Amino acid sequence: MSEALLSCSGLTVRFGGLVALDRLDLQVGAGEIVGLIGPNGSGKTTFFNTITGLYRAAAGTARFGGAELIAMKPQAIYGAGVTRTFQRSRLALPLSVFDNLMVGNHRRLQHGLGFNLFRRAALRREIEHNVEKARLLLAAFSARLAGRLFDAAGALGMIDRRRVEICRALVSEPRLLLLDEPSAGMTHEETRELMDDLLAVRARLPALAVVIIEHEMNVIERVSQRCAVLNYGSKIAEGSYAEIAADPQVQAAYLGTE
Amino acid sequence: MNLVAIAAITAYAVFLLRAESQAAVLGLIVLAVAGVPVLGKTGFLHKLNESFEKHKKTTLIGVLVALSVLVALFYDQHFVMLMLASVLLYTVACLGLTVQFGYAGVVNFAGAAFLGVGGYASAVLGPHLPHLLVLAIGGLLAALVGSVLILPILRTRGHYAALITVAFGLLFRTFVEVNDALGGPQGMQVKGMNLFGWDLNTGLGEASFYANYVAVGFALAAAAFWLVRRLERSWIGLSLDAVRLDETACAVFGIDVARWKIFAFTFGNFFAGVAGAAYAMMTGFVAPNSFTFGDSLILVSIVLLGGLGNLWGVALGAAIVLVLPEKLQALQEYRFLLYAVLVIAILLVRPAGLIPRRARRYFA
Amino acid sequence: MNIGLFGQYVANGLMLGVIYAMVAVGFTLFFGVLDVIKFSHGDVLTVGAFAGLATYIGLTALGFTSPWAQLFVVILVATAAMAVLGALIARYLVLPLRTSPPLNTLLLTLMLGSALRECVRLFYPQGANPKPFPRLLPQDSLALGSFSLRLDNALLLLGGLAAIAGVHLLISRTRLGLAIRAVAQDGETARIMGIDFERVVLLTFALGSALAALAGVMNGLYYNEINFSIGLLLGVIGFSAAVVGGLGNIYGAILGGFLFAALQTIGAVALPAAFPQLPSAYKDVFAFAAVIAFMAWRPTGLIAERSAERV
Repeated sequence: MSEALLSCSGLTVRFGGLVALDRLDLQVGAGEIVGLIGPNGSGKTTFFNTITGLYRAAAGTARFGGAELIAMKPQAIYGAGVTRTFQRSRLALPLSVFDNLMVGNHRRLQHGLGFNLFRRAALRREIEHNVEKARLLLAAFSARLAGRLFDAAGALGMIDRRRVEICRALVSEPRLLLLDEPSAGMTHEETRELMDDLLAVRARLPALAVVIIEHEMNVIERVSQRCAVLNYGSKIAEGSYAEIAADPQVQAAYLGTE
Repeated sequence: MNLVAIAAITAYAVFLLRAESQAAVLGLIVLAVAGVPVLGKTGFLHKLNESFEKHKKTTLIGVLVALSVLVALFYDQHFVMLMLASVLLYTVACLGLTVQFGYAGVVNFAGAAFLGVGGYASAVLGPHLPHLLVLAIGGLLAALVGSVLILPILRTRGHYAALITVAFGLLFRTFVEVNDALGGPQGMQVKGMNLFGWDLNTGLGEASFYANYVAVGFALAAAAFWLVRRLERSWIGLSLDAVRLDETACAVFGIDVARWKIFAFTFGNFFAGVAGAAYAMMTGFVAPNSFTFGDSLILVSIVLLGGLGNLWGVALGAAIVLVLPEKLQALQEYRFLLYAVLVIAILLVRPAGLIPRRARRYFA
Repeated sequence: MNIGLFGQYVANGLMLGVIYAMVAVGFTLFFGVLDVIKFSHGDVLTVGAFAGLATYIGLTALGFTSPWAQLFVVILVATAAMAVLGALIARYLVLPLRTSPPLNTLLLTLMLGSALRECVRLFYPQGANPKPFPRLLPQDSLALGSFSLRLDNALLLLGGLAAIAGVHLLISRTRLGLAIRAVAQDGETARIMGIDFERVVLLTFALGSALAALAGVMNGLYYNEINFSIGLLLGVIGFSAAVVGGLGNIYGAILGGFLFAALQTIGAVALPAAFPQLPSAYKDVFAFAAVIAFMAWRPTGLIAERSAERV
């Protein structure tokens, strides 16, 4: 692996007396798909929240490209090219699918008051361009969904909402995508379908790095090139799926035998 | 379809305003109360709303014609003209509140206080400056006074932010009441509006001078409507919606929550200030008792009743809330109670309001 | 300033403080179990005070004139009636909105407060005018140097403190209190553990509303006058106090109540001293400005709210 895109070292997060993340070291290279697994409460989502700037780290660094994420605001981290999905889907349900995608595309839109209020022709061109872009991106997941661009997100089924959420994270062409349990609340069938779509889109974006949190081991086995296992905030194992599956410490963490 | 609907609404308004006997008024109101849910259930209101949006030109002309008809029929009646102008000016203020409340989700339970800032501005500055400038200063002053609240509002959410604006509303009223320079509890006289030598307080021929204010009110309402409509159908409108719906998601996707909250709050207060300044010039006085907490709740009722975020709904809400108690004399005394019960019913039964806002179409 | 005047200010401040604290505890209890702000709380207090007044008039008309017995019945009727009203509000207006945005609950209770206030104004005989409230407590006073302590004030203060202590004991020592705390901690889990969620919510609203009624009666006894709009100001102050203390925390609410009273008293004393030309009516302006400034400084109060939002 050449120069890592994301390089965390000694990352520590505390909530009061609880250590949610304990001196975590993790590297993610450009174009890599890394699975992040571990029992509930082991610190996986905390890791996402920390590198997207929602939580403050007590110690440690997270270098992304040339920037240090730990000191940055969430807005700036997004600007640097890190996007994510949420474990419990966080779409704006009353807004249309298109609007939801455009929330994700914020950094590529113009927000000046003068532009938005008085330069309607230019704004119109920008909107039409983005409608096309959104349609293409959605179509890569589902042609049917692309036809529902102006339906409210709340009218969609669970799997379509997940697709929209992933598209929202992809539309701004990030360099690092963080997926927080994309299979939560879906059937095996739906999960497999979603992963197929994801891998297909991924194949067209070879530089995109992905970190995926998953409980479904067959999903991890299928999509990830490398896995890291967390338990009580610490990394207890790292390696290929086969390696970590054979690791006695990992088995102990999952079965609860100490 | 638009023109038919506008004609029907106008005819209804004419009958309502003409109705002399309380029984006739009551009958007309019962008709509306029974009719609107039926129209809502069958999806007619929704379709009408869509159609209004689609044929903008026809709608605009229709509204202009309807207003002209009302003016032509009632030009010599002070009361009706005053009502009409009030509805238009309240629409301006409530469009501002819609940006705050309906789009960015910034609560403001001190709307009457911002009307008041505009009103007092016109009382103090009216004798000295050109009145168009006074209107603008009224708005700017309201925005400026509001900026005092920006820091606490940014640092708090939901209930806490609501408390801040409630406290501010009470503070404002107490302040003008005890401030002798601003007339104390008696308030102040305000000069009638004079635009480029046109004295609005002199009626044309037999016409009520309030008809002049209807014209000015319409110009202001149309301008406000146009601005807010453009705002909604732009990236800014989208950002405001996103701020209202999920601040965490906003942060993760780079939307500057503080910036848009400040923008919405300032923008909305500006509208309230302008409306307040014009309203004070029309009625000729300002007094602390017109800017109570109850009055702020009326503004919120208007915004909510018509359909949170729906601009046509704002105009409809203003018409209902202002005209109803004036026409039903029996209700005049009970109006605050009536609004309160009406809003409670809306919240329980139809939380999206009479004409729910639809998903954004940027160009349609 | 002489000692007597100073004592007077302290006594007055403490009295206000205890009433504010009682209202604030209600806000905090409701927020605890349902995460809602019931803005109509202040107006429930008004209705309670008027219910007490009506009871007094009724008793007098029936020829029942022993002040202690009257006091007892007045408090009993007012608290019981408001407990029922509080539970009804929770059952039919607040609980149905559980799934809608929190702002809707806020709006609904704001409007409900407005409706209650208007009902008192319109339907209580001559409700728009201030009403004299009977002096049911002994009016003797105890001279301490230049400061005279009125016995009724001392009794009110003790009564208020006793009521707050009672609520505190109820919350911390009884089964019901345990259930309330469990629901406040985590409603879903409490439900799974076999706690009747709705019953606990209703009882909490009844408890808070009864406390507000008692505060309303005390307010009447203290000022010997009530009017239909006392609740609006007391509601806003009680809410401010609860927020200043930290919503969801009973100690915070009590602390906030006394803090707000201190602020008002200081405003009333210090403002005229510092700016002699400023009328004393500015004391409320000062108090509200202080609350707004405080919220900018400590947005979640002195004793911070339980947990951050889960992402």
